[in-house]
Amino acid sequence: MTDLLRVRDLSTRFFTEEGQINAVEGVSFTVEAGSVLGVVGESGSGKSVTGLSLIDLVESPGAITGGEIWYNNPDLAERVAADQPAAVDGDFVDLRRLSEAERRSLRGSAFSMIFQDPMSSFNPALTVGEQIAEAAEVQRRASANPRSTRARTQGYGLGRLLLDSVLPDRSYTTEESWDRAVELLERVGIPDPAERAEEYPHQFSGGMLQRAMIAQALAGDPDLLVADEPTTALDVTIQAQILDLLADLQETLDMSVVLITHNLGVIARVADRVSVMYAGEVVERGTLEDVFDDPVHPYTKGLLGSVPDIDRPGDRLEPIAGNVPDLVDANMPDRCYFADRCPKAMTDCLTRPPEYEVGDGHRARCVLAERDYSEADAVPEGRLARPADAARGASDDPTPTTEESDD
Amino acid sequence: MIAPRTRRNLRSELSRSLLAKLGIAIVVVIIVTALFAPLLAPHDPEDQNLDNANIPPIGFTATENQTSTEMVDGEVQIVEEEVVVNTTAEHPLGTDSLGRDVLSRTMFGARTSLLVGLFGTAIAVVLGVTVGITAGYYGGRIDDALMRFADVMLAFPSLVLAIALIGLWGQASLRIPDPLVATGIAPETMPGDIVLPGTVIVVVALVNWVWFARVARGEALSVRDQEYVKAARSMGGSDLHIILRHVLPNSLTPILVLATIQIAAIILLESALSFLGFSGAQLSWGFDIAQGRQYLSSSWWIATVPGLAIVAAVVGINLIGDWLRDALDPDIEGQGGAP
Amino acid sequence: MALGRFLLKRGIQGVLVVWGVVTAVFLLRFITPGNPVTFVAPLDASAELRAQIAAELGLDQPLYVQYAEYILGLLQGNMGFSYLRGTEASTVVFARVPATVELAVAATVVAVVIAIPLGVISATRRREPADYGATLFSLVGISTPNFWLGIMLILVLSVQFDLFPTSRRPIGFVETFAFLVTFENGISVPMDVGAFLDGLRTWLWHIALPAVTLGTYFTALITRLTRSGMIEELGQPYVRAARAKGLPESLIQYKHALQNTLIPIVTVLGLQLGTLIGGAVITESVFSWPGLGTLVINSINVRDWPLIQGSLIVIGTGFVLINIFVDALYAYLNPRVAR
Repeated sequence: MTDLLRVRDLSTRFFTEEGQINAVEGVSFTVEAGSVLGVVGESGSGKSVTGLSLIDLVESPGAITGGEIWYNNPDLAERVAADQPAAVDGDFVDLRRLSEAERRSLRGSAFSMIFQDPMSSFNPALTVGEQIAEAAEVQRRASANPRSTRARTQGYGLGRLLLDSVLPDRSYTTEESWDRAVELLERVGIPDPAERAEEYPHQFSGGMLQRAMIAQALAGDPDLLVADEPTTALDVTIQAQILDLLADLQETLDMSVVLITHNLGVIARVADRVSVMYAGEVVERGTLEDVFDDPVHPYTKGLLGSVPDIDRPGDRLEPIAGNVPDLVDANMPDRCYFADRCPKAMTDCLTRPPEYEVGDGHRARCVLAERDYSEADAVPEGRLARPADAARGASDDPTPTTEESDD
Repeated sequence: MIAPRTRRNLRSELSRSLLAKLGIAIVVVIIVTALFAPLLAPHDPEDQNLDNANIPPIGFTATENQTSTEMVDGEVQIVEEEVVVNTTAEHPLGTDSLGRDVLSRTMFGARTSLLVGLFGTAIAVVLGVTVGITAGYYGGRIDDALMRFADVMLAFPSLVLAIALIGLWGQASLRIPDPLVATGIAPETMPGDIVLPGTVIVVVALVNWVWFARVARGEALSVRDQEYVKAARSMGGSDLHIILRHVLPNSLTPILVLATIQIAAIILLESALSFLGFSGAQLSWGFDIAQGRQYLSSSWWIATVPGLAIVAAVVGINLIGDWLRDALDPDIEGQGGAP
Repeated sequence: MALGRFLLKRGIQGVLVVWGVVTAVFLLRFITPGNPVTFVAPLDASAELRAQIAAELGLDQPLYVQYAEYILGLLQGNMGFSYLRGTEASTVVFARVPATVELAVAATVVAVVIAIPLGVISATRRREPADYGATLFSLVGISTPNFWLGIMLILVLSVQFDLFPTSRRPIGFVETFAFLVTFENGISVPMDVGAFLDGLRTWLWHIALPAVTLGTYFTALITRLTRSGMIEELGQPYVRAARAKGLPESLIQYKHALQNTLIPIVTVLGLQLGTLIGGAVITESVFSWPGLGTLVINSINVRDWPLIQGSLIVIGTGFVLINIFVDALYAYLNPRVAR
């Protein structure tokens, strides 16, 4: 199994009026070619921002502040090696060291992303077919002019907009890309694709539109598809269909998928490998079996324990006490972030834990990987209060706000 | 009346925005000027003094093209130009063609604009909210009838309607004794009355109430269908009680935002009407601009100064309107208008 | 087609509103103090003439008969006879329409062409000098009284630098084409291109200042709306999804964000049309532009009743038509409404 993507020590911060928010901190994981990586965590864990960081969609006031994203692409590596030898390591290219234009050219072609709410991810004023055709058109132009970034970033101004609205034949998309759009719609299982392509997003049901979004994401034959909570907004029965579709596509197209979700059931269904995130860090990662059957980190255990088991309906659920921290840099403690909610916190946990190796490819950011819990070393009550909590009392919504303010 | 959260939003938005503070500063200056004009103005705005006509603002020069002839060495020579420079602070912004002090006139002009703006908006609000709530709350045929009527009223551009009404009804104004002059705080030379251009106020209210009616109607409609209203009625709450208790407080925010926009619009409307000669007020910015228009090439300041005052006032009010809108409700942009 | 049905519905509504307008204008006479005969007859009319006019106006008839005759007359294009000018009122009124239409269209074109790119640039380069400049301009632009701006433009560009004429409209836009093709006595094609271009240039030169004056408020307003609309659209989830597809940024800005921004702007423009027409009245007055606006003012001042009624009806009707057009435009742009 070759590695498609190696993420090393990735950090993404948001610089807001409330302070610096460390959404993603020192995250490392590997995505193998043709496999599914599940990224699981609560809201505020940084999983969505991680996904956005992979394809460079983090917008102001946020920015990736550190780390490397090594992407396995021999052709690209060869091209880049000539100008920037430091960005290349064998067949791998560090995406962070590429120019903005080059990273943009990878979006849609090498990497694709689908989002949680399909209805708000489509432009309500354009037909679904038109929007998928756009995606196809970008790729068509790129492959027709591999050297020229200008053809891809072709200027499109007010003049073109006026012309397009008056002369419909001159639109950005072509006949060819439209056909491809219909073909893609068929591939994701939408009946009567040619007719449906002419319809508007509001005329689609949630599940159908999610399929359309997947179709759009496939336009460039991506190596990697990042799926951010693709099933959360859908009914349970539709969820299963979409997941099956993803699994099927992933196999036939030999595409890798990073599936971001808070739903363990979804992970269990499709993931090959899992990364568990908490407070912006990866706290445990490994194969599906490693993480589900042999969890080390108390947070992972807590997550697994809080899922109802249909085979054992009478069991009590074990929620994890407390709330996620708010990720504001000034308030983050200098110890293991989970310690204040951890039933097994020890004095070792008062320093920032590194990733420990539990087994082959199985890592956990917890000292319990190396030693057992002992009561004697437990942390005394009160040592683990969070500085911000002490001042405020109640805990606020931990999700970082990224809204821009108008003047 | 105003929810604590709203007050906090207002304060935080204010502290962040330099422009909002600027807007408040400007408006405060204008209000103070309007209130205390008799005290602040250097001269009586209506004092004509033909000897002092057409003096330019301080530091500026104006050329009076006076030609006179002289006999010099047996030949008729034409002696031109008399250059006038304003070096004293007697008339800081110059005088008009009748020798009246421009600064004083501009200060008193603030009164007219504010009076018409505030009273006109107030009447429009009362009228509009009443009609709107009635239409929205009771619905049915009353709603249809009232809204058709509103549509017809809106079918006329407001300025045109205002011109038609004032032109046909005439210009009546009310004279109220100015307390500052009457009690002797201000010099006796100042005008003894405050002129309230009644027709103009009524007319601007009539052309503007519809915007408020629409907003109030919307609020009434949305409140009417709420569960708690049905509950209140089932417990015997009267309509009036529900309206006062639920509909009005909810409407407060959008009405307030709209009112600021409308005050600005009405000030512009009033100045346009004065400019066209359709207002009973002699001490008005628009009126002065019309006067100054004939002397554009020679005494340009007569028309320029009042215009700058209008721009300043409306900018100030718009900045406050922006502040309110940013802090309270970002969806109101674009309702109401100015000529 | 859904759009056709929509137009039909709006058309019927429009007819009803126009009927309301006509009725309102008719009733205007009855709420205006004074004898209608004095309105219509010249000042020095003899007693016989007055009696004749009274009979012609049907003043002795019951109200509903007068009303019916009035409506009937209108449907035949008869607006009455202007004794003061000695011609049919409809002739005068319709002769003035092209001038006002030219002015309104020119101002709108100026506004749209400048404001939309300015708004987009302002939104995409936030907090840069371009943004600050555009924001300042648009704030001052909506706060400046139309007539004062016109006067200032005249002061600077006509009086000081003599770049533009100050008034009048020697030739109309459509009339310039008469140098190319005429339709009297069959089609003749003189094709005097030189004269055509001269005529066009004269027209352009004379309409430039009025168009800019009238268009400034709209330019400022549209800039503001475009800017805030774009900022909001660019923050929408579908923009992020579009970026994920790898679409070029300019395509996203114009084809996606701007198109969605323009939809609500069209609505606001519709609401503000009254402002445009009101502004046209003032602008015409400042530049002595021979349009409906100056006609309304002049006829109100001299109480030329048939002209007052005629011009008000034409303005009201035109306004209704434009509103229908704007509604149709909105329905066409917004797929959720019409389809």
